Amino acid sequence: MLGSIYAMVAVALTLSIGVLRFRNFSIPGLFMIGGMTAWASLRGGLPWWLAIAIALVAGAFASLVVERFTWRWMRGAQEFVPLVSSMAFLLLFEHLAVIYWGSELRTLPPLFANADWRIAGLVISVPQLAGLVASIALIWALTLALARTRLGRGLRTIAEDSDTALLLGVEINHIVPVVFLISGLFAALAGVIFALNYRQVQPFMGEMVGLKGISAMIVGGMGSVWGSIAGGLIIGVVEVMSIGYFGADFVDIAVYGLLLLILCVRPTGLFAAAFAGQRA
Amino acid sequence: MSATDPILRLESVSKHFGGLRVVEDLNLAVRRGVRTALIGPNGAGKTTVFNLITGVFPVDAGRILLDGVDITAAPSHLRIGHGIARSFQNIRLMPHLSTLENVMVGQHCRNRGVRGVLQPVNLVPRNRWREAARAALVDAGLIEYERSTVGNLPYGVQKRIELVRALMAQPRLLLLDEPAAGLNPAETEALQAQLEKICSGGLTVLVVEHDMHFVGALCEDVIVLDFGRKIAEGSPEDIRRNPLVQEIYLGAPVAQPMERHSARSA
Amino acid sequence: MSGYLEGVLVLLAVNVVFAYGGFLPLAAGQLNLGLAGFAAIGAYASAYLSNVFKLPPLVAIVFAGIVAGVVALIVAVPVLRTRGIYLALATFALGQIVQAIILNLEVVGGAAGYPVAAFIRLPAIAATATVVVALVWLLFATRFGIAVTAVHDDETVADLMGIDVRAFQVAAFALGSAIAGVGGGLYAHHFSFIEAQYFNISLSITIVLYVLLGGTQTVIGPLLGAAVFTLLPEVLRASANWRYVAFAAALIVLMALRPEGLVTGAQLRRLLGLARAQPRHAAVAAALPKEPSG
Repeated sequence: MLGSIYAMVAVALTLSIGVLRFRNFSIPGLFMIGGMTAWASLRGGLPWWLAIAIALVAGAFASLVVERFTWRWMRGAQEFVPLVSSMAFLLLFEHLAVIYWGSELRTLPPLFANADWRIAGLVISVPQLAGLVASIALIWALTLALARTRLGRGLRTIAEDSDTALLLGVEINHIVPVVFLISGLFAALAGVIFALNYRQVQPFMGEMVGLKGISAMIVGGMGSVWGSIAGGLIIGVVEVMSIGYFGADFVDIAVYGLLLLILCVRPTGLFAAAFAGQRA
Repeated sequence: MSATDPILRLESVSKHFGGLRVVEDLNLAVRRGVRTALIGPNGAGKTTVFNLITGVFPVDAGRILLDGVDITAAPSHLRIGHGIARSFQNIRLMPHLSTLENVMVGQHCRNRGVRGVLQPVNLVPRNRWREAARAALVDAGLIEYERSTVGNLPYGVQKRIELVRALMAQPRLLLLDEPAAGLNPAETEALQAQLEKICSGGLTVLVVEHDMHFVGALCEDVIVLDFGRKIAEGSPEDIRRNPLVQEIYLGAPVAQPMERHSARSA
Repeated sequence: MSGYLEGVLVLLAVNVVFAYGGFLPLAAGQLNLGLAGFAAIGAYASAYLSNVFKLPPLVAIVFAGIVAGVVALIVAVPVLRTRGIYLALATFALGQIVQAIILNLEVVGGAAGYPVAAFIRLPAIAATATVVVALVWLLFATRFGIAVTAVHDDETVADLMGIDVRAFQVAAFALGSAIAGVGGGLYAHHFSFIEAQYFNISLSITIVLYVLLGGTQTVIGPLLGAAVFTLLPEVLRASANWRYVAFAAALIVLMALRPEGLVTGAQLRRLLGLARAQPRHAAVAAALPKEPSG
C-alpha cells in the first residue's frame, strides 16, 4: 500500500525529470505540505473532503512557487543550479513548517474508524483501499492524458527534444507550469493519502517517506511513468519483506541498499528498456 | 626503428558507430619530422581519426603504431605519455583555470606519480614547472594573459594558448584539429610561422584543415580522406592536380592545375 | 570569553570543517549528498574510541576521520562509476544507509543516541579546523588543485592530457569524506551527545548549500560560506528555524543571480594578482556582473 504512495511521488519526480530534466528535490517537501496541511485543516475542524482539497491546493501553489523561482529564473544556467535551488526549497519548506507548526509528530483523528470491510475472512481497510485506488486511477489518468491529449503530446515532445518542441510551436512557457502543477498535485496527494492512512505527520516526513519515492523512481526507471509505478510497488514489497525477515529496523537499509545497488549496476532502472516507448 | 620509419602508422583501422562506418580499413603513415595534413570533405572521418589516435574511442579493428610501438590498447590518459598531444576543433580550455594553469595542465603527463602531483606549483614562487610554463607563454607572446580567465580572451588568443598547452607535454607527434579555423589572415600567418619554428626542432605535426591555402603553405605531405578511406596522398601540388580529389571537392575533374583556393564550399 | 560566544565559534569551526568536506568532491565535479553519513561515521567512531578505549579525543577524532575516509574509499569504487545525478543519488542512498545502520547499532546506543564522555573546548576545535583548512589550502596549491579543477571542467580533455580522472575523483571523494568525519568527531566531543537522526539528508544538503554559497572555485569559498551561514544569523539574532529559511531563500536568489557563489576564481586572481595590469578587453569583460566564468 505504501508502494502506491511511493509510486505517486515517483511519478511526480518522473514528470519533472522526464519532461523538464529538472531534478526536483523539492517534491518531498510538497509531499509534506500535502500531509501537514491536511492535518492542520482537520485539526481546524474542517470536513475531510475540504481538508484534502486545501492540501492539494497548497501543494500545487507551493509547486508553482518553486517553478517561479527556479525554472523561470534560470533557463540557461549550469546543470546543477536547478537541483540546488530545489534542495534549498526543500529546506525552506521544512523549516517553515517547523516554525509554523512545531517539530513534533502529529496524529490525525481516525476518520474512517470502523470503515473496514470484511470479505471472506479478510479485513480490508477502506481508507487504504481508497488511497490505493485513487493512486492507481490518477496515474492511469495521467498516462492517458499524456498519450491522448494535446497537452500530453506537447509534454512528450518536450521530453524528447526541447528544441524540436519549440520549432513545432509547443508553448513551453505555458506547459512548464502545468508540469509543475501536476507533479505538485501528485506529491501533495501522496502526502494526504499517507496522512489519512498512517495518521502521522511531521515536518520532516518528506525525508522519511518522500525520499523513498526517489528510490522508486530510480529502481523502476527514471523518466518512465509506468516504471515509477513498478518501482513503487517493488519498494513497497521490499519494505514488507524486510520487515518480515529482518525486522522493522532494517527497512531503510533494504530500501536504500536496493537503490544504491541499482544505481551502481543498472542506473537506468529495472524497466527502462521495457517502457522505453512510453516515456512520460 | 630507424629515423626514416614513420612516426605514426595506422594499419587497417576501422571504426563504426552503430551502423555508420566512419573509418573503413584505413592505412596511413606519417613520416617523422614531416608536416602532414589530413584533409577531406566534411564527414570524411578526420576528427574521428584524431579521436582514435588519442584514444577517445577504441578502434573496432586494426592497429595504431607510434614509433613502432603498438598503442592500440593503451588507455587514453596514457597516450599523451607516449608522446601524442592534440588541440581541439572547438577550443577546450578549462574555464576555471587561469591561462597559466591551463598551460600547466599540459605538463601533467610529465608529473604523474604522487610526488609529481604534490609539487607545490602554486605555492613556491619560483617553482620550476611554473617558470617553465611562463617561459613558454613568453615564447608565444602570450605572457600578458597569464592570469586571465581564458573564457574572456579573444578566439585567436585562446587557440594559441591551446597550442602552448599541447606543447608543454613535449610530444613527438602533435595533432592539430583545424588550427587555422576562425583566424584572420595575420593570425594565420603567425600560426604558420610558429608551427614552422616548432617543427624545425624535430616535432612531427599532423594537421586537419579545410583552409587549403594554409595547408599548401605549411605542409609537405597531404593525405586525403573520403568516407573514412584514404583516397590520395602526396605533396600539396600532387593533391591539387589529382582528379579524384578535384572530383570530391568540386564534383568534377578539372583539366588544368588549379590556383590555390579554399575548399570550404565542399 | 562568554559561553555564548564560545558556542558560536565552536559551531563556526565545525561548520568550516564540514564545508571543506563538501568542497573536496565538489571541486572535482561531484555532489556528495551522503556527507552527513560520513560525518556520522566520524562522530560515532571517535566517540566509541574515546568512550571505550579511552583515547584522547583529538587522537580519536583523527583516527575516526581516517576510518571515514577508508569507508569512502571502499564505496567509491562502485559509486564513482556513476555520473552526475546518479552519483548524487548514490551518495544520497549511501548517507541514508549509514544513518539506518547506526540506528540499529545498539553498541553505540541505537535510536536513543550515544553520550560522549570526553569533552574538548574551543582552542582544540579551532586548532583542528585551522589545520584542516591549511592542509586543504596546501593541497590545492599543488598540482593536485590544477588537476582536480581540470577534471571538474572537462573530464574528456583532462583525461587526454594525461590526468587519471578516476584516481582524482576517488581521492577527492575519500578526502572530503575523511574531513567530514573529522568534523563529526569534533561535533561529538563538544556537544557530548550524538544521535543518528541528526546526521540526515538535511544536514548534507545544508552543508552543500553553504559550500556553494561561498563558491567552489577557490579554496577560500567554503570558509566564507560556512562563516556566512553560521555568523550572519547570529548577527541578525535569528531563531534557529528562521536561520534556515533565510539561508534557503538566499541560496535560491543566489543561484539565479550568481551561481558561482560569492567568491569566484577570477575575482580572487584579480584581488591577489593585481600587480600586473590586465589587457583592456579582459578587464572589461571581467568587470561585467554576471560572469559565467568561461
